[in-house]
Amino acid sequence: MQITTSPTPAVPSRPASGLLSFWRSFSRSRTGLIGFWMLVIAIFVAVFAPLLAPYERGASTSVQIDDIYQPPSSAHWFGTDDAGQDVLTNFIYGARVSLTVGFFAAFISIVIGGVFGLVAGFFGGRWENFLMRFTDIMLVIPDLPLTVVIVALTKPSLWNIIFVIGILGWTTTARVVRSQTLAVKSRKFVLRARAIGASKFHILVQHILPLVLPILVVQAVLAISLAILNESTLSFIGLGDPSAPSWGQMLNFAFGRGAMSVGAWWALVVPGFGIVWVVLSLTLLGQGLEQVLNPRLDTHHLMAGRPVVQKEAGAKPIQSDVLLEVQNLSIHYVGEGKAPARAVENISFTLREGELIGLVGESGCGKTTLMLALLKLLPSAGQIANGKVFYNGNDLTVMDEEEINKIRWSNISIVFQGAMNALNPVRTVGEQIGEAILKHEPSFPKDKLNARVSELLELVGIASDHREHFPHQYSGGMRQRAMIAMALACNPKVIIADEPTTALDVMIQAQILELLDTLRKKLGLAVIFVTHDLGVVAELCDKVLVMYGGVTAEYAEVDVIYNEPKHPYTQELLKAFPDLTKPKKKLSSIPGYPPRLDNLPAGCRFAPRCPAAFERCHTDEPALHAPQKDHIVGCHLAEASK
Amino acid sequence: MDRTRAILRKAAWSVFTIFFVIILNFFLFRVLPGDPARAGIRDPRLNKDAIEALRVRFGLDKPVINCFETLNPIKVGSCAVNPMETQFFIYIKNLLQGELGYSYHTNRPVVDVLGERLWNTILLIGAGQILAIVFGVAFGIFAAWRARTSIDYMAVGASLVAWSLPTFWLAILLLFWGSTIGLPVAGKATPGMSSYPLLQQWGDIAKHMLLPTLTYTIVYMGEYTLIMRSSLLDVLSEDYILTAKAKGLNTVQILRDHALKNAMLPLVTVIAINLGFTVAGVIQIESVFSWPGLGSAIYEAVVRRDFPMLQGAFLLIAVTVILANLLADLTYTYLDPRVRVE
Repeated sequence: MQITTSPTPAVPSRPASGLLSFWRSFSRSRTGLIGFWMLVIAIFVAVFAPLLAPYERGASTSVQIDDIYQPPSSAHWFGTDDAGQDVLTNFIYGARVSLTVGFFAAFISIVIGGVFGLVAGFFGGRWENFLMRFTDIMLVIPDLPLTVVIVALTKPSLWNIIFVIGILGWTTTARVVRSQTLAVKSRKFVLRARAIGASKFHILVQHILPLVLPILVVQAVLAISLAILNESTLSFIGLGDPSAPSWGQMLNFAFGRGAMSVGAWWALVVPGFGIVWVVLSLTLLGQGLEQVLNPRLDTHHLMAGRPVVQKEAGAKPIQSDVLLEVQNLSIHYVGEGKAPARAVENISFTLREGELIGLVGESGCGKTTLMLALLKLLPSAGQIANGKVFYNGNDLTVMDEEEINKIRWSNISIVFQGAMNALNPVRTVGEQIGEAILKHEPSFPKDKLNARVSELLELVGIASDHREHFPHQYSGGMRQRAMIAMALACNPKVIIADEPTTALDVMIQAQILELLDTLRKKLGLAVIFVTHDLGVVAELCDKVLVMYGGVTAEYAEVDVIYNEPKHPYTQELLKAFPDLTKPKKKLSSIPGYPPRLDNLPAGCRFAPRCPAAFERCHTDEPALHAPQKDHIVGCHLAEASK
Repeated sequence: MDRTRAILRKAAWSVFTIFFVIILNFFLFRVLPGDPARAGIRDPRLNKDAIEALRVRFGLDKPVINCFETLNPIKVGSCAVNPMETQFFIYIKNLLQGELGYSYHTNRPVVDVLGERLWNTILLIGAGQILAIVFGVAFGIFAAWRARTSIDYMAVGASLVAWSLPTFWLAILLLFWGSTIGLPVAGKATPGMSSYPLLQQWGDIAKHMLLPTLTYTIVYMGEYTLIMRSSLLDVLSEDYILTAKAKGLNTVQILRDHALKNAMLPLVTVIAINLGFTVAGVIQIESVFSWPGLGSAIYEAVVRRDFPMLQGAFLLIAVTVILANLLADLTYTYLDPRVRVE
């Protein structure tokens, strides 16, 4: 029986429409903004070319031979070219040609690619098969040589070039649009529209196109830059339209007509700069748009974490039989320009050899954060803001990476939740278990390694011939077992089991729990069992720590928690849990949702949902009270009852 | 067994694509406006008989294909003609025998010219591609590992600029720079080198290769850096990296044993797809540095309207790219165990 977990707040099934909100999220990307303004400048230059250009288009300053390849001067800021024309003037007019080609060719590509992708994705079946096969063929045919061939065979006029570049540049768009259409097609609101009998055309235009459009925009930006690069290449190898000199053509003339030998660098550098400017602006713009559509945090597990606030090691705790002692641990998530999110605050508990402690709470209450912090595995934004973690009397929080690596796995190991992704998909399970052994026991005889791995797998009920299989060849339950085998590999003293049975079916859950309990008794392991399943806790645990919104609600022996719960949250949890001794008891769930870390209520974090809340609960954070020995309650009521 | 079937299917698909390219390549040069002979042989001194003789020499007097009068620019022949006598079947027949016709310009067999030049291009692409991959992957790993630091921002910025550079312009700039410091900037070897000892000859070729290879490397390195970076970022935020870290592995071990292989997989595909774009770069680099390869062959063929050369070069490039794609596909199948079993 699970605590009724709140459904995640309804995610809008359609993006917030409106250019304004799009612009707002776009303007947060610095690269995107730089690209946008660079492009605006380029378009400005192209549109107002006649006003900006110092000379008339195509006019030689005079017919003197001396005017050819004149270096930059006050009359010609960027010098003159092979025909004695002003480079700056041609450069400004070149922007027109390049942008014209870019925009129109990209338009053709996007229309073709968009239609192909939409049709293939939406209608599926034979159409999809045919269109995607055709796309595959066109995708492997190198497009620039094909463009060169076609333009060389036909007339190299500007519109011809636009047309050829356009109809050869649609392949990637078709692919991307198709997969997006496929993804959108199965969304609820589309299915609903189909169910009420909306016509296919209506669904395509009204429901699917708006969601495909943003991707089309990104593709268009990329297509424009590719078209401009392709046009410049065509022009450079002499296939440009002579009546519309582009930047590529300026380079072709300068390079082909001796600019190099007379050292006229200005005729070569300036036009290329224009191409780089426009292509770079589009590339940056594309990156910015991409970031709005697929926001990525660019964080990962190897990024340096934030240093602990208290850098000096804590005094050794006195109790000697305690294996792991967590003292007043607080963990904050620190973001740029935001107040730190207080994910976990002031948590304390102890763990003795062979003990099993249950850590209970709804999703998002900081259980996993707490567990990761014990081994300093927090994501880079996470910071141990206060408190100590002692293992065998040593303060783990102040250890450096090298020291803690010796504790990790060999002394404390973790069974992660959802072992689906916790195993590396491209290495065999056996390899991944053996790796842990070799890391912590480098002298382990290589010839006995396989035997040891097989032994571990058999211990958790996996036949040893699965050793050389890859994770995807395992079933979900087997993966979780393999994860446990891996956790046992170095004979640790403590195992942290972070919701090891979520997402598994009931039978397998029971098997895995039984397995953990057996191993604990057999090997004398201490276990921290993270769960939101009170039934499991009642069955297995010695002690229970109930967390709510990152703080301790109640911490006591399992019998105390079940028989004399003091915290209203614990009481409510128990009401939601069927008791076999009182079969007629009515089950009730707790109304409301757990608090969001970035929006914690003032006072007690549970107050908004608490049936027993009074005035003070909404203003003062409750302290931790101890109504009796080894029983801690984070509630104002516990103080009163003392 | 499934694997063999998958490989066979992919291979069959490649063969079909090549067939498509052959047909496309043939009709492109016949259907598009302009009599190939008139377009290619523009010499006012030729009289009618001479042109006719040339047409016969290049096989242009025959009908393009049966029953397609409109595709037959000079309206010779009809449906009554033996199909084997049409240009299309002669083209196919010649192809099967490894013949690509004669160059309008040099009158030499196209196959011979392309054969000489293919190796030079492979040399250039090989060296450039290896350098671009090595440096791109290295920078990408470094940028991802140090994500959101100034090193990362610099690597990404430089890569975006490199990606935006028109290849031929970069080639021109490097040529300019190379000529000022005395590097050879044209061709493959200094004339007269062939009488020198072999080692010296190779040194001379290496010197000539320096600038073209550098251009190639810079142009493609940026893209590989960006792809490697984003691919590695994806992998490094996977749960199994956290597992590896919890196991006590250090950064180097995690990168080497758990991240690189997974992150390299997408790169294999990109490298293959890139080969198509690579050809575009090679045309530009080779024509700027007069490197005697396929790219400059295309450039010269365009300038001289030497259609048999252009047709042959395009076919060779397209087939090479298709086969490279097939190879990448198979490599991917081999590398990724998830694909291997399915």
